[in-house]
Amino acid sequence: MKTLYNRVFGQYWNPVMALVAAGIFSAAYFGLTGTVWAVTGEFTRLGGHVVEFFGVDTSTWAYFDLVHLEGSTFARSDGWIVWGMLIGALITVLLANNFKIRKPKQKRRYVQGLIGGTIAGFGARLAMGCNLAAFFTGVPQFSFHSWIFIVATGLGTYLGVKVAKTKWWKGKPKLMKGGPAPVTAKEKQVIQPYIGGLIALLYAALIAWFFMTGRPLLGTAAIFGAIFGILIERGQICFTSAFRDLWITGRTLMAKAIVIAMAISSLLTIIIIANTGMTPITQVTSIGTFVGGFLFGLGIVLASSCETGMMYRLMEGQVLYLFVFAGNLIGVTALAFAWDHLGVYNLLVAGGEKLNLIPAMGPIWAIIATLTMLTACYLFVDLYSKHKRGTLILPKGEKRIVS
Amino acid sequence: MSADFTLDLRGESCPYPVIYTLDALKEMQKGQVLHVVTDCPGSFRNVPEEVVTAGYKLAKEPEKSGQEYLFYIEA
Repeated sequence: MKTLYNRVFGQYWNPVMALVAAGIFSAAYFGLTGTVWAVTGEFTRLGGHVVEFFGVDTSTWAYFDLVHLEGSTFARSDGWIVWGMLIGALITVLLANNFKIRKPKQKRRYVQGLIGGTIAGFGARLAMGCNLAAFFTGVPQFSFHSWIFIVATGLGTYLGVKVAKTKWWKGKPKLMKGGPAPVTAKEKQVIQPYIGGLIALLYAALIAWFFMTGRPLLGTAAIFGAIFGILIERGQICFTSAFRDLWITGRTLMAKAIVIAMAISSLLTIIIIANTGMTPITQVTSIGTFVGGFLFGLGIVLASSCETGMMYRLMEGQVLYLFVFAGNLIGVTALAFAWDHLGVYNLLVAGGEKLNLIPAMGPIWAIIATLTMLTACYLFVDLYSKHKRGTLILPKGEKRIVS
Repeated sequence: MSADFTLDLRGESCPYPVIYTLDALKEMQKGQVLHVVTDCPGSFRNVPEEVVTAGYKLAKEPEKSGQEYLFYIEA
């Protein structure tokens, strides 16, 4: 029992397994509800509630109409995906005894998180989705906007890395002479797992209540939200690092895992669509998709996290991500305002159209095209990594041993 | 385990533990040992992976102490 507990909570899960599971569950969630795993649409609505709280009349904001700002977040399935992710991640963080208030010593990080979060939030909503709806769950819906988004995000993260590597951005830690200070703190009584277990029980009761009171959609969203939260926390899934680490050091673990999981999710989704005749979720492809994807990529590297990764890191007690979350909300609300008030829609989005591969080329060619694109992504990641690792400066003239 | 230098990176989030660690190792003499303390959960996986890829050696297996991670890396 103890060893099983250790295997599940003592160590992190293989990110490929966690992402593949997330891909399978997101296809299943679509099959059950007809909607996809997404978060920033709900963030926009939360931003709408905040400005409403301050007395602003949002009924004339076209973007809030677009994302259906109505009712409370607790009465929406998209709302329970977000709350479920936060609660699910918190439960496993506590079960693993891994909660700790973590505050960066470099104070500049807070400003960076706020700025990056704002840019990422703005970009995501301009492109109609973050790394989920315009990426991880967008590709398996065969919505062409996600193809543009991936390329644009790649370019944006590349610029982000250039900024993040400058001296004034990254700062310098104190390198102390000598070894570690002797450990004096004795391990205190471990209570986190008990709190985690208690929260899990209460949450299960809440889900049961949703089903018993005739709200199965909310119950389903609450279950899937928690599953997604648990998977991204246990797998330490990070879309930011998938791009960033490739550009910085040529690390490919996360990027390849994402590509593989999207391929599996796409296959499952096409089977679901072919058998049920369900309509895939399609978003507008426009210049805004590209600009938004680029800003999103830039923002997530500056903030050290995307809208999804931010959620479980917040639950781990990483204070920085409160600032990133605040930035995200500011960014999405700013976009909702700029959409019609500042002419963003007319300038960048109005000329676009909804493009989906299934009606455009039929289900067979849609899946073939998608798998071909994903294979190309995989090969690009692999080749770029080899190129990058070949050019890294070797320490002290040592010969690299190729494994 | 004794070390020549110590980097206390508690509180820093990814990717800075990796960047700081690699920067510090670059400045050190070959054979010197760097001790790194982090508490960013991502760093438990990416710090050891990245230093080994960059051609350094782990002087000791990474250790988990409560919510913190301890690394000993030989330049």
